[in-house]
Amino acid sequence: MKLLIVEDDRSLSRSINDYLKMEGHICEVALTLNEAVQKADINKYDCVILDIGLPDGNGLDLIREMKSKKLTGGILILSAKSSLDDKLIGLKIGADDYLTKPFHFAELSARINSIHRRNNYLGLNEITFNEIRINTEDNQVYVHDKLIILTKKEYDLLLFFIANRNRIITKESIVEHLWGDNVILTDSFDFVYTHVKNLRKKIVASEGRNYIKCIYGFGYKFIDS
Amino acid sequence: MKLLTKSTFYFLLLSILVMFAGAVLLYLTIKKVIYRQIDESLITEKTIIEDQIRQTDTIPDFEGTFGHQIEVKLLNYHIDKVQAIKDTDIYDSKSDSFIPFRYIFSSGNYVGKKGFIITIFQIISEKNELLHDIEVYMFSLFFSLLLISILINYLIARRLWRPFYDSVKIAGRFDIQSDKPLDLPETDIKEFDQLNRVFDNMTSKMRNDYLNLKEFSENASHEIQTPLAVIRSKTDLLMQQKNLNKDSLSLIKSINESTTKLFKLNQGLLLISKIENQVFHEKKMVSLKQITIKGLENYKEILQLKRIKVEMDVSDEALVEMNEVLAEIMISNLLSNAVRFNIDGGFIKCHIDKIFLIMKNAGLPLTINPDDLFKRFHKSSNNPQSVGLGLSIVKEITESYGMKIFYSCHNDIHEIKLQYHYKGNSPWAF
Repeated sequence: MKLLIVEDDRSLSRSINDYLKMEGHICEVALTLNEAVQKADINKYDCVILDIGLPDGNGLDLIREMKSKKLTGGILILSAKSSLDDKLIGLKIGADDYLTKPFHFAELSARINSIHRRNNYLGLNEITFNEIRINTEDNQVYVHDKLIILTKKEYDLLLFFIANRNRIITKESIVEHLWGDNVILTDSFDFVYTHVKNLRKKIVASEGRNYIKCIYGFGYKFIDS
Repeated sequence: MKLLTKSTFYFLLLSILVMFAGAVLLYLTIKKVIYRQIDESLITEKTIIEDQIRQTDTIPDFEGTFGHQIEVKLLNYHIDKVQAIKDTDIYDSKSDSFIPFRYIFSSGNYVGKKGFIITIFQIISEKNELLHDIEVYMFSLFFSLLLISILINYLIARRLWRPFYDSVKIAGRFDIQSDKPLDLPETDIKEFDQLNRVFDNMTSKMRNDYLNLKEFSENASHEIQTPLAVIRSKTDLLMQQKNLNKDSLSLIKSINESTTKLFKLNQGLLLISKIENQVFHEKKMVSLKQITIKGLENYKEILQLKRIKVEMDVSDEALVEMNEVLAEIMISNLLSNAVRFNIDGGFIKCHIDKIFLIMKNAGLPLTINPDDLFKRFHKSSNNPQSVGLGLSIVKEITESYGMKIFYSCHNDIHEIKLQYHYKGNSPWAF
């Protein structure tokens, strides 16, 4: 995917850049609104990762600009301001999703994938990962073409894993992904463990391979090997 | 005691004292004047009789009338000159009573060595009656004067103090969160004007300080978000590196955990300051019942895993006019609390009616003081990962909508009661 990162904090934009490159995306960074508008005008991006508070203006203006020029590509708003108004306005004028700082890269990755899936005209509503096939339209998962029944949370977890394959995913990021960040659960790590265990069991039961590797005390890694 | 009552009371006390003293003094003076008059007339009469005796050597002819009796005795011997005026009571057989008299007794000599004794009695019961009448009139006059002056004093004081009471009333309604100035009424009394100015200055300074503080905490929280995001992104990158040994991983894990905690803390504080700043001003009718059901859905798996039974006892939609996001956060925090502090195989009982939402859950005894439960950063010691903001956020939300929240615990069953409507037709006051 070709991505544009609009973020004025150099350190953060470099991190995002590094991480997404590691994921195999082609990334460009814009540090100001002006730069972002110019870049978006020349190039075609699959997704723009957009910070709202920019030194020379409001990031929302880029969305308006892109929409008026009918530029395609998804938009993911990134903001330190978890203010509801920004979120509502952003989504209303055409952003696809909203992520509040600070975020986990795993979450960012999952959101970008999800935006990409939704925006793709070719109807990429199927994710295939070796013997696992996921139909994102009716939320069904097949292993070796055999349907397995997952709970909502297990399904979300599997998608999250696949979006972040070969990366270490912390338990915190899983909790935030599954329950949202307003939920404060202390023993939720145990629930993550249980969900992972159940998911693994169901895949293995259908003769799928065990892709989920536990990184002790830390989280998990979905390994394609 | 009210100032007005107190001042009236003192005024009454002093007035009675002064008026009583005045009345006594006046009574005595009048009495003295009357007596002097009697005495003077007695002396005049005596002098006339005396003169006549001296000039004509005869006793004047007079007829004693009742109440006025003259006795004159002529003596053939010398008598010492004596004069005295005194009171006496004389028995009157007709009315079978003693009648008060004033009399003059005078003795002297005339022509040669002849003496005389003159005694003139003057009845004073009439004068006494007069005095008594004066007494009555005087007292009733004084009494009505007293009443009138108290009333006048009360009315004047009430009028004079009105600006003060108005100011107190307005100042009592002062809300540090409201951006309206205090707006104290102008008065033509210098002292009250001064007081109002002091009030105005004080409250505007308070409000400014409060606003600054609020702004500061919100800004600080905002500014912390980006560095936090940087730290998190760097640790995320760091942990993806290959060839990390166990020690490095454990270091990253600690950084990660602390960052998460810091983030939660910051997020909670930001939320609280936003509720205080009334950022969530959009309101609509939300059903606490629906939100609770939706919230429970989010905990479905956890409830199953912890083998917690949920009982719902709902008799009302519990429609409340508030911000939807805040309503969700409120219910979610209550539920999270009930799940978190539950025991394996425990239960949650949720009762919703027109007035209350009651959440009961089984649990362990509370390790903190129940009064501190809703305070910030008061957390149970057996929950090191909690940041201790969940219930204070709930409290903050309930307060901003004028709802009430209560906690109680019996036999390790914890109960949180949320009151959103009050009896009577008017709901809560915003």
